[in-house]
This record gives sequence, structure tokens and C-alpha cells, in this order.
Amino acid sequence: MLEYIVMGVTVALVLVFSTFVQGFATFGNLRVIASNSAALLILSCGMGVVILSRGLDLSMVAVMVAGAAAFATLSNAGYSGPAVVGLTLLVTAAIGLANGWLIAYVEIPAMLATLASAMVITGFFRFAVLQGEFLLLLPNTNPAVVFFSKDIAPGLTAPVALMIVIFVLTWVLLRYTTLGRITYAMGDNFQAARLIGLRVRTTTLMIYVYAALTALVAGLVIAASSGTVDFRTVTNGSLLFEVILVVVLGGIPLRGGRGGMRNILVGVALIAVLRNGMTLFDLSSQVQDLLKGVVLIIAVATDNYFNPRDTETDTVGDL
Amino acid sequence: MLSRLKGNLVNLAAGIAVCTVFALGTGGAQADSNIAGKKVIFVPISAGITLTEAWSRRMKEHAAIYGYSFDIRDAAFNTGAMSELLAKAISEKPDVLVVHNPTVQLLARQIKEAEAQGIKVLQLNLQSNQPSSAFTGANWERIGREIAEDIVKECGAGTGKSGEVAIIPGQLTAADSVIMNQAAFKVFAAHPEIKVVSNQASDWEPEKARQITTTVLQQHPNLCAIFGHWDVHTMGAGKAVKDAHLEDKVIVYATGGGDDKTCQAVEDKILDRVWSYDADGQGRDAADLVDILLQGGAAADHSMLQIESPLKIIKLGPTYDKNLCFKL
Repeated sequence: MLEYIVMGVTVALVLVFSTFVQGFATFGNLRVIASNSAALLILSCGMGVVILSRGLDLSMVAVMVAGAAAFATLSNAGYSGPAVVGLTLLVTAAIGLANGWLIAYVEIPAMLATLASAMVITGFFRFAVLQGEFLLLLPNTNPAVVFFSKDIAPGLTAPVALMIVIFVLTWVLLRYTTLGRITYAMGDNFQAARLIGLRVRTTTLMIYVYAALTALVAGLVIAASSGTVDFRTVTNGSLLFEVILVVVLGGIPLRGGRGGMRNILVGVALIAVLRNGMTLFDLSSQVQDLLKGVVLIIAVATDNYFNPRDTETDTVGDL
Repeated sequence: MLSRLKGNLVNLAAGIAVCTVFALGTGGAQADSNIAGKKVIFVPISAGITLTEAWSRRMKEHAAIYGYSFDIRDAAFNTGAMSELLAKAISEKPDVLVVHNPTVQLLARQIKEAEAQGIKVLQLNLQSNQPSSAFTGANWERIGREIAEDIVKECGAGTGKSGEVAIIPGQLTAADSVIMNQAAFKVFAAHPEIKVVSNQASDWEPEKARQITTTVLQQHPNLCAIFGHWDVHTMGAGKAVKDAHLEDKVIVYATGGGDDKTCQAVEDKILDRVWSYDADGQGRDAADLVDILLQGGAAADHSMLQIESPLKIIKLGPTYDKNLCFKL
């Protein structure tokens, strides 16, 4: 199974890096890996839920940055803390609803609908909210920056704590709620789920709202830690690629229906360790991207070999 | 067919006659001070960042004074789109093209093509391998060398520090990073106690710079200095230093356009020493050069006119003044 291969590769990488890179196998480095991957894990939780339902949300990074931009602009405009949080949640949920509506009711394929909404969101926020700017610098007094710079408990920063909370929440959602069961049913066999009367349309709406909200949390984490809201993260494209890579590598097939939080954890572990090790080796970002691409190709090819499409799992219009 | 041939010959003769009249009429070193109605196109790496907005603001002011048109073609950080936009701009035959090169090679061929077609090209702040009519911008060799010398003074032999330095370029193939690294490494070669422990590009993104810095600080807790090639992405690195509570131990160097956010970052101790090339002043220099090029100005030997941007060093202490930064 792919996730065992990936786990094996991760362990092998950890051993290699521990031997050849001094400073890798320390508790401090583990904390660095955790804090650098917080946003990635949060995004992967949202994307994982969507992919499990045999959907795809290509607008997550756009929503991430747009949500952070909305938060920053509202706080700079002087609204009170709760008002800013409430309005930003509302805006993000509305975007998720729009995505879900396009996919569930207008029946546009998920990939196309979310690709289009990503462009609309980016364009709208850059044009109307940021007035043409690409970058928004957050002042130190911004409530998000203040909150995220604090340590919740000694050794546990706010981003890492949030990462754990979202991870547990997603796990509970998938395993113990009706929404989770229907998500798996949709991924497994969408037509059958619909025909036996499961509320697939409502579930689709809720799934995309959840994805949008996790994207918002990830956006606030990044904005607070780097002090900027940067729309080039959307146009550069590599973060979205990494999120999908994490989910696929972890063992959740793109046609959905199978997998869980353990897969996401395995995927993030590999990418985080790989990225950290490559940085410590001082490899250039081009070489890093090259290696990540090679890893993805190997993963997808192996996935195809172990999860071949047969008449049961293959359907027309699959990604 | 014969009549068509005759028609073509007549047209050709008329064309030659018209051209001769123009050539004779405008021959000689007569500067044309009436430049209203001429066309200038600016192709930056991206509009919507303080640097390019500061340049555009000054160039638009001059365009309004003289009455020539000034258009901006926004590539939005997409280098592929930039080549296409430049090609389209060249096909519109403007009088002056202002180009901001993302790498030394990408637009070199098109700049040559434009110059060959008689379009004057002004390269702004980041040069390519292809010389053109004019260049104005920071002297990257000087910035790289001065910052490296300052690092040696602060971290080198006799200071008791580790001598470890991390460099964070934007992109390893961008003109400024290439030249600054060359100059810096030349200085460091003469001082073997300085060790460059990391030279990872951050794609101009503050978040990537932050992640790189967090990782490097973990492995090299005695890091002495960070040299970031753009103040905006170096702020991410500075935040990582501050989060690790090392802002009094690690000196964060940067270079940039020097707008008010840079001064704010220096006051907040996110950046320590910034070599500012004053984007506002650069905008004025570029606008002046555009006016001169439109009026027919050129070097006597047709080499590239060059105007180097003066530098301001922004750091806390007796030399600090908020007015060193401009506000957009």
C-alpha cells in the first residue's frame, strides 16, 4: 500500500539526514519542522476531506490568501476584534458555499469550478480590496500577529496548537459524524449514494465550506508568522501543488472514498522532512522543486500500480 | 501586371522621396524639445508593489508635464507573460520602452530587437546582458561589496563572533542577486573566517524566507548575520530571527527601495541595516532619462547612458531619520 511505502521512505530520509546533516535529529529541529508545516497540514486536512468525496478544491490557496487579506484589511480599518473575526468567517463561508453550489447544483466538475473561482477570488481581492497591490504588510499590533506569536503552553506555539486542533477536528468529522460517512459514500460510489437517498448535495456544500474555513485558518497562520499577506503565493502555484502532493502521497487516491487522517499525517511528514533536509543541505529552490516533482511522479506511478482502476472503481470523467 | 509593377515603382519612389526629405530636415544634432504625443511603455516585473508603483508615479508626472503617453503593462510576476507583453509592446512601436528585467537573460534578445527597430530602451534597476540606450538603477556591485565589508567588520576576525552568514537571494538568476553575490563572495574570499552557511533563494516571498531562516537558525544558532537581497522578503527572515529571540545577536542586512514600511521594520528591529536605493529618487531619474531619450539624447559613442542611484544606509542610531524613507 502506498502509505507504507511513503512511511518507509520518510523513515529512510530521516535516517539519512540524521547521519549526514548535523543538527537534524534534535528536538529543536523537530519544532522547526512542525511550525514550518503547520499551514500545510491545516490545508491538507481541508483538501483531504474534499478529495475523499471525489472532489478537488483548487481554490484553497486563493481563499487562504483572500481570507487573510480580508482579516488584515478589516482590522486596519478599525473594526473590533470579534467583528473582524465574524465578518471574515462569513466571507470565507460564503466563498465555500459558492464553490459547493457550483459543484452540487450547477453540476460543474469540481476541478473547473474551483479553478475558475480561484481566479475570480484572486482578481477581486487584488482589485477591490488591495487596490492593485500584491502584498499587504501586517503591523505588529495586528491582533492575529499578536495572538499567533504567543506560546499557548511552554514549547507549544499557537500555529502548532491550531494545527493539532484542526487535525483532531477533521478526524472526528470524518469518523464520528454523518457528514463524514456520507463523504466516504460519495467518494466510493457517488451515483449509488445519491440513489439510496443520502443528502449528497447538502454534504457537498458543507465539505467546500469546511475546506474554505480550514484555508482561512492556514492563511491567518502564515500571515501572522511572516507578517505579510502575499498574493504571489497563489500565482506561484507551488503551495497548491504541495497540498495535493501531500494528500496523494499519503495514500488518499484522487478518486476518493478511501483513506483517513493517518494518510494525511504520513504525507505531510514526508514533504516536511524532505523540505527541511533539502534546506539544511543548502539545495537551491529549483533543485528542491525538481526533487519534489520526481517524488510525485514516483508516488503516482506506484499508486496506479497498487490501486489499479477496475470496472468497480473506474468511472467516466474521473480525474 | 505591368500596371501593378508601375504602381509599385511609383510608390517606392514616393516613399524614398518622403524619407529623404525627412532625413535632410531632421539631420544634425538638433534636440527636439516638443515631445508631446510621443509614446512610452513601461513593462515591470509586476505592478502593485511599492517599488514599481513609486517608479510609475514619477514617470507619470513627467508624462503629464510634457504631454506624452505613458502605459504600464503588468506581467504580475509571470515571466512567461512578461516576454509576451514585451513583444506586444515592441510591435506597437513606442518611442521609448522602459524594461525591468527579472533575469539577465530572459529579455535580452527582445531588447536587442527593439533597439534595432529604433525603439530606445531604458533598463530600470535590474539590467540584462544586452546593453541598450540607457540604464538607471542601483549599483549592485557596490551594494554587495559594502554590505559584505560591513559583515566582515561585524562578524570577522577579532570580533569574537562565529563568522557564520546566511544569504537569502530572491532568485539566483536575477541580476541583482548575481552581481551582489559575486561582489560579496569576492570580499569573503579574502576573509576565510567568514562562512556562508546558506544561499537559498526565497522567490521574493517573505514566508519562504521565514521558513528558510527558521531552519538555518536551528542548525546554526550562532549565526552572526543574514544578508537578504530585497527588504520585503528579508522582513520574513527578520521575523524568524525575532521569534527566536535572537534580534540582538543576528544582524539582518537588506537592500530595497526604502519606503516607509522599511523604516518601520528598522524601528521594530525586524531589519537592522538597509542599503536603500530610494525608489522614489530612482523614479525621478528614470523619468528624466525618458525625457532626454525622447528629445533625442544619446551618448556620443552610442554606448549605454548610465545613471547610478545614490544609496542611503538606514539603521538605528545617530544617523537614523524617518525622512530617509519615502511614503507612497
